[in-house]
Parts: sequence; structure tokens; C-alpha cells
Amino acid sequence: MTDRQLPNVHPMKKIEVVVHAGDIKLIEAALRDAGVAGWTIIRDVAGMGHHGFHQARTIFSDETGLVMFVGVAPAQRIRQAALEIETLFRTRAGVLFLSDVEVIRSDYFTGA
Amino acid sequence: MTELTRIAAALQRKSEAQPSLAMQVELAARIVAPLWPLESAIAVNPLSGLEHMPFEEAVRAGSELFGASSGLDLDLWRRLSAAGKPSKNAVRSAAIMELGGLNDAFVMVGPDISLLDCLIARLFDLPAEPKPERAADPAGREVADYCAAYFANDVAALAIGRGDSGLYMASLPLMRTTHRKTDWAGVPETPMAAIGWALDRLGVVSEDRPLHLTKTVARLPGWAGHIRWRDEHADEDRRQERPAHMADLIALILLADLAHGRGKTLSRSVAQPELRQRLAAQFGIGADDFAPEVRRVLKLDEADLALIFQRAAETEYAFQLGRAVERNSRTAITHSAKADAQLMFCIDVRSEPMRRAIEKEGRYETIGYAGFFGLPVAMREPGRARTRRLPVLIGPQHELLLRPSPGAEAEAKSFLLKRRRGESLQGVFAHLKSGTATSFATAEAVGPLAAAMMVLQTFAPRAAAALKARCTGDRHALAPSIDSHDRHDGLSGAERLAYARSLFALTGMKIRSRLVVLLGHCGQATNNPYASALDCGACAGHGGGANARAMAAVLNDQAVRSALGIEPDVFFLAGEHNTTNDEVRLFDLQSAPDTHRADIDQLQSSLTAAGRMVRRERAAKLRRSENDLVTGALHWGEVRPEWGLTGNAAFIIGGRELTGSLDLEGRAFLHDYDWRSDPNGDALATILTAPMVVAQWINSQYLFSTIDNERYGAGDKTVHNPVAGIGVVRGNGGDLAVGLPRQSLFHDDGSPAHVPQRLCTIVHAPMARVRTLIEQHNVLRQLFGNGWVRLIVVDPDRGRALRWADDREMAIEEAANGCA
Repeated sequence: MTDRQLPNVHPMKKIEVVVHAGDIKLIEAALRDAGVAGWTIIRDVAGMGHHGFHQARTIFSDETGLVMFVGVAPAQRIRQAALEIETLFRTRAGVLFLSDVEVIRSDYFTGA
Repeated sequence: MTELTRIAAALQRKSEAQPSLAMQVELAARIVAPLWPLESAIAVNPLSGLEHMPFEEAVRAGSELFGASSGLDLDLWRRLSAAGKPSKNAVRSAAIMELGGLNDAFVMVGPDISLLDCLIARLFDLPAEPKPERAADPAGREVADYCAAYFANDVAALAIGRGDSGLYMASLPLMRTTHRKTDWAGVPETPMAAIGWALDRLGVVSEDRPLHLTKTVARLPGWAGHIRWRDEHADEDRRQERPAHMADLIALILLADLAHGRGKTLSRSVAQPELRQRLAAQFGIGADDFAPEVRRVLKLDEADLALIFQRAAETEYAFQLGRAVERNSRTAITHSAKADAQLMFCIDVRSEPMRRAIEKEGRYETIGYAGFFGLPVAMREPGRARTRRLPVLIGPQHELLLRPSPGAEAEAKSFLLKRRRGESLQGVFAHLKSGTATSFATAEAVGPLAAAMMVLQTFAPRAAAALKARCTGDRHALAPSIDSHDRHDGLSGAERLAYARSLFALTGMKIRSRLVVLLGHCGQATNNPYASALDCGACAGHGGGANARAMAAVLNDQAVRSALGIEPDVFFLAGEHNTTNDEVRLFDLQSAPDTHRADIDQLQSSLTAAGRMVRRERAAKLRRSENDLVTGALHWGEVRPEWGLTGNAAFIIGGRELTGSLDLEGRAFLHDYDWRSDPNGDALATILTAPMVVAQWINSQYLFSTIDNERYGAGDKTVHNPVAGIGVVRGNGGDLAVGLPRQSLFHDDGSPAHVPQRLCTIVHAPMARVRTLIEQHNVLRQLFGNGWVRLIVVDPDRGRALRWADDREMAIEEAANGCA
């Protein structure tokens, strides 16, 4: 990298949410309403939680197991999405992570 | 302070904040189950939005939200009990349990009168309380009419709104015109803003809003369910066609409430003489002669009493079945001898009598597997929209094209030609019928022909059906192709192998015959909007023959056979069991090898004999003659062509040797499973989280449709009017009906043919494995832990049936103790 210039990077926030597959629509609504322009859904997530080990989806049901959302957007939008999802977590299981990230194409994350 | 800390602090500060209005709408929408259109009427639990609650609580909450009963009427339970379902003894045991055991039940509360006597008197003798009257909901009714006018655009002469305007914007002008006196100044143009606007004017404060929105959705479970289906399950083109979201519906109902000047009122109850006096009169004593403990019986309401009957029915059934399966698990020998043919049926409860019958006809082995045969496919007839042929829990991963079956090209061509002609004729007729200048002339021109057809359909339905068949040709001349054609990829080699492997892994099936038949199933009914409810639920309310044909093609594929080590002389054949007349049609016989002709002929005559046997059994249950059943399938005035899945009560996961000797009366879903070939429990996890969940939906739909047929079911079939293939309304409008019609659940004399009881799942597998799976799958924790499904594990290591306690502690009790 010494002979190349570092790319221009822009600070953004990342939100990661793990919920039951049945709650996909709710998280999508929260992200959309907060103005998060896009997100990735990782299906078939398994892992250890408060209720023990959560198995991934089974072959004949898309509604079992956990899914993970990964979204990147300006801080304000992520804050709003996090607040919304936090109200959901009062009655539904799930975890939420926030972190600082840098992106090289900020226009990808500020649309919507 | 970093941004993340600020976010965390904001979360802290606003921890009691309400979700946004948009999120409140999303959450409110979940109180209703999606409602599939008539072409694929899928069973769903009308209380699926409350499955996170224990069953008893959910039933009460549902009753309040939907204005429905919490239990079957006492009079009806008494009729069922008189017929032994449940027996009086079982009700007595359940009553003792309700009172907290023998000691409490036999506390004396009057001269020679125990607490149990009082409860039994309430259960069996005291007249039932009259039902409270249901209040009318004119605002809901008005919005339901807007929905019908908006969604039925392809049949309505004057559909409202433009196709892309959305339900709210399309209906708003109508509402303004209907209620001219209402002040509509400032009504927002977007549904979400309108909801906020209306809630303010209705005086619903912030903390009451989530519940108010939920109750609003619950007022029209039919149309709300249809919107959920469009939003979450329909193909994209259908969704775009007439866009609508729950916010549209809620906004319209709230505005209609404003216009009607009221919210929905609660139902009125009818004043009754005091219960204590009536109970005292029953025993011939004074009301003051009771000891204070009698309050424990007096405080029970009708819903509590109905639940005692229900628990009695469930416990008695589970105990008897659990013990029988346990006994067989110890004594039955797994078959290893060669079979004349192996027949794989759908797990549907209607397969069980057929399996029992065909097994008596020769050395036939039967296997149960989900009727879509594990193929996550949609199918497309040339020139038609695709149809999904898989359980609604999964999305289609492939689209198979229906093509002329090899050797039946001429029939296929004739079918397609006749279909095209028929469609053109229908198009011309529809055009002429609705034209202002041509409508009368059309009626006069085709009137005599229509009258002749009506006479034929009424007095000679078999001749009418034969005539119709001649005009339409044989649609089965088209078969799904697993090869690639045009823009359809078919199934790749790896996919074929994976689906074939799943079939063997999930059922534990071993090939023991040179002829293996995969049998889908279908119902047959004429002029019946609910015809698809009689088809295969695993194929999304279609006949299962097409999936069986595709899977047979997969298993006859050379590469698949060599990879799985299937002997060269084994031939896979597909067929379809017609559950209305119990005939079985085998497909693509022209492609069967000559070496198997004799086997197939033999099988066909055995299937005919077995069909006759099953028809006799079913005719008795329908209180009709066998011949009448065959006519009923073709008659356009038939309201009950078959009982469908009425009576369903159990889901048994294990080898056929556990159930082969039992007459399960067509009440059990049977899924084959061999715990020895599933060391990791993957196959069992799939069976429990997919087919069993679907069976639980079916069971809940039958249960709730029986408990309150008006609210959770579809009511009387004779007043049904279909709305553009979406659903039916009763009379000339109102909400779409959800659930099943009365004729599918009750005899003509009003007694229930279906006993409303929760599903009892029996699994033949080591308890440790089942326990692990329940812990790993939220859906199982919820269904078993909240008492929506009763679980009995027949543990092969211990040779005992063990009941999974429904007390959320997941303790294990011996079945005998748990069921007694």
C-alpha cells in the first residue's frame, strides 16, 4: 500500500440485529422507516443465547431459526432504527450491536 | 462522548418510549393470520398472533379481541359427550383436576353434595347461559365493502380507484360522498397520517394506541388477513396489481368510526337469575344452604366449563393412543420382507384409512411423507400464472413447466386446444353479458342452453360431468418436467439428488419392492368455493399429483439412482388419491416398463378394492350411501362432498409398525421416521418444525372454526358469495369469511362432527434427542411449552411413552400419570 494512496473514507454507523426469522418484516420496517437505505440479511444464523443453543433453519421451513441484519447508514438514521428496534425487544427476543465503520462510497449509504 | 455512547444514552432515556406509529401498525397487523385466496385455501390458526401466550390465555384474549366464543357451547359438548367423545368418566377426571385433586373435589358443600357434584351439575345438567348478543359494526361493514370494490377489480363492472392508487386513496372519495355531513377538512392524504389524525379526534391517547390499533385490525380479520397475504406471501405481480397495506385498512376503519360517530361497542349480555340459586334448585336445597367453598364452582364461567370438556377429550384420546403406540413399539417387528409394492402417501389424515385398506389387499407397504414430496417448486401451465405447490412455510426455489407427458402428446394438444377455445368463448360471453347493448340479447340467446345445462347438472350430474370432461379434455396429459425448457431451468443433477436424499432421510424408507408409487391426493367438488381446502395443504391447496409426478421423475433419473444405489429394476410411479370418491389414478402408465405391467395391473385392482372399502367407511361417517358420495363429488348443489380433515387429532412420527395394527379413524397425520437412521436429529427437527407446524395450523383452524363458526369459521355455506376468487362473504357484503364453513364441521342436525381438541403429537425417538430439539427451536418451545400441542415421546431406549409436561418446566412425567 506504500505506493498507493489510501482511499477516501467516510465515517458511518453499522447496526447488526439478530432476531427470530418470523420477525424479519418488523426489522425491515424499522430500518426502512429510519431511512436506512439498504441492508444485508444473513439467514440460517445459529448460536448460543439466553435460552441455550438456537439451531439454524430446517430445510422445509423458512420461518425457523435466526436471521441477522447488517445495515450501514449515517449515525442519525442508525440511532432512530436502534430506538425503534429497542421498543420491539420489550416483547420479542433479539440482540442489537452498534459500531463505528468507515465506508468508501458514502452515497451507497445515504440514499433512500 | 462518542456517537455510540450518545445512542446508548438515548436508548436509556427513551426506554419507555412507544414504538413509532408505523411500527405500531406493523405489530397490530400480526393479530390476524394471513388469509390465502380461494384458489389455495391454506389452513391457518386464527389465533396465530397469540401463539406466544399459553393456550388458555390466548383463547380468552382472542375471544375479547375478535368478539368470539372461548369454547364450544356447553349444549354441543354435552351432545359430544353423550356419544363418548369425551366419555363421562373422562370429564369427571378432568373436573377433579380442575378442582385441584381428589381431596378438594370431595369437600362437602351441602347435604350429601360435594364440590365435584356441583361442578358435574354445571357441566351436564344446568341450562347453558344464553350467548350475549353481538353488536353490529356498521363502520367495519362499510370498510369491508370498500375492500370488496377495490380488490375485486377484475370482476367488478366499476372497480374503485386506479390500480396503483392504494386502498386508502381509492376509498376516500367514496367515504366523503357517503358521509357528506362529516367534517372532512384536513383529512390527510396518506394512510399513516390519517391514522394519527383520526386517533387524535377519537381521543385515543398515546399509551392506548397500540391496543386500539390491534383491536381495529381484529374487527375485520378477513380483509386484514387478505392484506397480510398480499403483503407477505403473494407473488410480486399480484402485490403490485392493487397495492394495499394494513395502514390503509386501519385508516379507513378509524375514519369510518369518526363518520359513524362511535367506536365499536361491546356486546350486550342478557340478565340471568343468580347462578347460586339455579345450582341450589338443581339439588333441591336453598341457596343459603351451600358452604362458602361452593364459590369455587360458581366462579367458573362457560369458557372454563368448555375447557374442562376439551381437556377431557384431549387427555382421553392422548392416553389411549399413547398407550397403543407404546405397546406396539415394544412388540412390533420392523418389516424387512419384500413387498409387492411400496406406496408413499401424503401425511394427510385422509391417507390413513386408504393406507389401512391397501395394506389388507396384499403385501403392500405404505409410507407417510409430506405430500409435496420435498420439492420446493411452483408450476406453470403454458400461458398461465404460476401456482405454488409447496407448504407456505417455504418459498418456491424452482419453477417447473407443465409439458405434454411423453406418449400423451396428442391428448395434451387436444387439452390445450380445448382450453384455448373455452377461454375465448368465456371471454366473448363475459364481454357480451356486461355490455349495455348486448346483455339482454345474450341472456335470450344462451338462456335455453344454460337452462338445459342446469337441468342436467341438477338431475343427471354424472352425465353433466362427463359432458364437461369431453369439452375440457384431460389436464393430466400435461406433466411437470424436471428438465430445462425455454427460460425454465428445471432441476439440476445436484438438486435432484438432494431432494431424493431428503425423501429417504426424513422417512427412513428402505426400498423393498420393484414398484414404488408416490401418491399425491386431491378432493373433488363442483361449484364449491372451498374446493381447494379439500386438496393437499402441503401443495398449497392443489392436488398433489403433479408433485408426485415430478418426484417420480427425479427418482427414475439414472444419475440419482446410481448415486443412491437403487437397483435397476425398481420403477417409480406417480398417482393421485381422490379423497372424495376414493379412486386412485396412476399417471404416465404409457411410460412404465413392460416388465412392470403385471405388477401395476395387480396394484390397480387392489387400489380399486381398497377404495371401495374406504368409501364404505366414509359413507357411514357422512351418513350417506356410497353411491351418493360419488354423485356428490359431481353435483353442483352438494354442500358436503367429504369431511376433509374433520376429526384430525394426532400427528404420529415413527415407523408404520407403530400404527399398522390400529384403526386411527382417519384422525391422525402419519409421518414415517426412523430414529436409528437420524443420529443428529436433523430429520426429526425438519419434521417437527415444518409438517407438524402445518398440522398444528390445520388442527387449530378446525378447532376454532368449530368453537365459534360465525367468527373463527366461515358460517353457513348456503349464503356464501365468492368475491373475485379472494374469499367469500356472507350475504351481500361484510368481512371476508375466515376458517371453514359450517357444513365442513357439523352434521345437518347441528351436532359437531369435529371434536375441538388440540393436536397430540407422538414421536418415536429417544427423549434426550427430542428435548435437545425443543430447546434449540423457538417454534417448538412455544407450541409445546404454551400448550398448543401436546407431546408424547415414545422412547425406544426405555420402551415407555413419556408425556412432555406443559408447565414450561419441561419436566417429564409418565404418560399414565399425565393422562389419567
